[in-house]
Amino acid sequence: MFIINFFTILIGKILSGLLHLLGKNAGNLPGLVLCTMRKNALKAFKIDCPIIAVTGTNGKTSVTNFIAEMFRQTGAKIITNPEGNNLDTGITSLLLNHCTMGGKVKADYLILETDESHVPVVYSKLKLETLVVLNFFRDQLDRNGEVETLILKVSKFCETFGGNLILNGDDPNVARLGYANPKNPNVKYFSVDKYRYATDSLHEAGEGRFCPRCGTELAYDYYQYSHIGRFACPKCGYGKLKPYVKFTDIDLQKPSFTAEGEEYITAGSTIYYMYNLCAVYAAAKLYGIDKKTVRKVFKGFEVNNGRMEKFEYKGSVLTLNLAKNPVGANMTVRMINECEDNKEMLFVLNDNLADGHDVSWIWDINFSIFNNVTRVVTSGRRAYDIAVRIKCSGYPAEKIVVRPDLDDAVKELFSTKGRKFAVANYTAVQPTRSALKRFLNGEAKRNDS
Amino acid sequence: MTVKVLHMYPNMLDLYGDSGNMELLSYRLKMRGHGFEKTSYTIGDGAKTDFESYDLIYLGGGADFEQQLLAEDLLSCKDKILRAYKSGVFMLMICGGYQLMGKYYKDSNGKKIPGLGLFDYYTVASTNKRERCIGNIVIETDIGGKKYKVIGFENHGGMTENVKTPFGKVIFGNGNKFGSETEGYREKNVIATYLHGPLLSKNPKLADHILEYILSRKQGSPVSLKPLNDELESKAREVMFKRLLESGKNKK
Repeated sequence: MFIINFFTILIGKILSGLLHLLGKNAGNLPGLVLCTMRKNALKAFKIDCPIIAVTGTNGKTSVTNFIAEMFRQTGAKIITNPEGNNLDTGITSLLLNHCTMGGKVKADYLILETDESHVPVVYSKLKLETLVVLNFFRDQLDRNGEVETLILKVSKFCETFGGNLILNGDDPNVARLGYANPKNPNVKYFSVDKYRYATDSLHEAGEGRFCPRCGTELAYDYYQYSHIGRFACPKCGYGKLKPYVKFTDIDLQKPSFTAEGEEYITAGSTIYYMYNLCAVYAAAKLYGIDKKTVRKVFKGFEVNNGRMEKFEYKGSVLTLNLAKNPVGANMTVRMINECEDNKEMLFVLNDNLADGHDVSWIWDINFSIFNNVTRVVTSGRRAYDIAVRIKCSGYPAEKIVVRPDLDDAVKELFSTKGRKFAVANYTAVQPTRSALKRFLNGEAKRNDS
Repeated sequence: MTVKVLHMYPNMLDLYGDSGNMELLSYRLKMRGHGFEKTSYTIGDGAKTDFESYDLIYLGGGADFEQQLLAEDLLSCKDKILRAYKSGVFMLMICGGYQLMGKYYKDSNGKKIPGLGLFDYYTVASTNKRERCIGNIVIETDIGGKKYKVIGFENHGGMTENVKTPFGKVIFGNGNKFGSETEGYREKNVIATYLHGPLLSKNPKLADHILEYILSRKQGSPVSLKPLNDELESKAREVMFKRLLESGKNKK
């Protein structure tokens, strides 16, 4: 076994070294080669430190970055995948870059964003200490299959998992994982109290309508967004849980929340941002990170990777947010509405492989609630599809401008002054950031000369 | 006029934005000053529902699990739905809805779900869950004597056989089964298809064709709708036709 492990690492290192020599980013390729060559390649690594994994449909990257930042602030040595690369191959590549020739990975903590379907794949080979599960929504249906299949995969893993399980107690799809292994005493739920814009009925397509234990339709006191909210099964009582962490007094204007009697100021101001922080808070509490550090990170840290990222041009503020599925998009539309001023929106829609070739999910976005949106610019490979969708929700066609080319779209958007929001799906978000930066830099240069 | 629509099992048959078809019909009626009234049908509503009183019966697509759950309820409405269909109520069915109106659907677990048997076709899904027809699709159909390209997205494991009067001829994509020449099923007052997208979003002429049928039947004399500004829709079609039909890949 030792010999096999040795050669696995050796080959990986050589590959990785060659790629560097060629001036290429080692990204995913060495891991892909190793995992293809040897199914158990991950077993070649010797890891003594705790591993914390973050999974779920939306918010993985943000929560992973936040938890990593918390630990970093305490002076711990962290290895993490801040840019995604969350499949077994990406994680293998990451570890390869951080291990000795003997396969030893030296760090205080490994904090790994992990794709939902890869949780069992990766953590049947690496010893996981804590699993954070954020939510389960519809995502790229034509590639992932149904949500239920995915939940069952993670649930099956949880059946034999005895480590810490930090679960969103307000998502019936996630909370059910707490029952997968009745012998696990380390199940901890996080929950966010009803906020100002919570509703009595479901406003957007949701997944968890029925009790996973007895099949009865779940009853909700309120919905925060999509199927996230205070639910309970009227028949078997599923959902009546005691949270480990509960955020109260959510104030999106300030923005702030209260946890364990103390108020915290946050950088972001949406309900799903609060849910992300709640997961982070639970992890910080579990690992005994002091409240001063938590306070500092919550107030000042921003992921800035197209997740609620801010740009400014001549006094016009633009917020860019990734939305790769209906729930993410509905949340962003809601956030746009919560800003009560006049504003303009840019929507960039691609249909590349990683997005799913099927763009029909845009019809699950509820645009009919638009208020004070004075103009919409659309862009991307399916710029016209999103334009049709917005028009047919009742938005005036004459206020929609289609600019398939991103540079044209950004220029068009900034041809007027005022508050702007940009929404981009998975493969659109980085090109949108680049186009925004090109525009801002280009304009800056023009002003200098 | 107000068009009355019965949307069957909207909670269960709602994959791939299929409910968008309802929004589109409502939009296109509203733009012409007509009303749209939708009733949602859920399991157990059979006894109190007068299917014949509606102008359109709509079923979207769903996963195997949901199709099983509702099959029994659907069967209990068989006679009433049959009468509605015979009386000329328009039937629009997508994917799972299409399959359930045939003789039977054998799902990917080998489980046979009896269909309503309104039509002679039947569907068998491969037991290999990875074997699915997935991708953009373009078909050619006939609208008012003229050829019209219909574009959408197909994603189905079921292979539908014994279709006597298909909805259209496949130009790009798979259709009723892998590499099929034909797609969907059609009669004067029936369109059943695998096309998501949703179907009516990029095929406005098809939407208007259905609405004209419905309004004419209601009024008792031919209705022709005034054209709308469908420039965005035309451009959306153009982009995809250019990409799919001029690339030569997968072309028939």
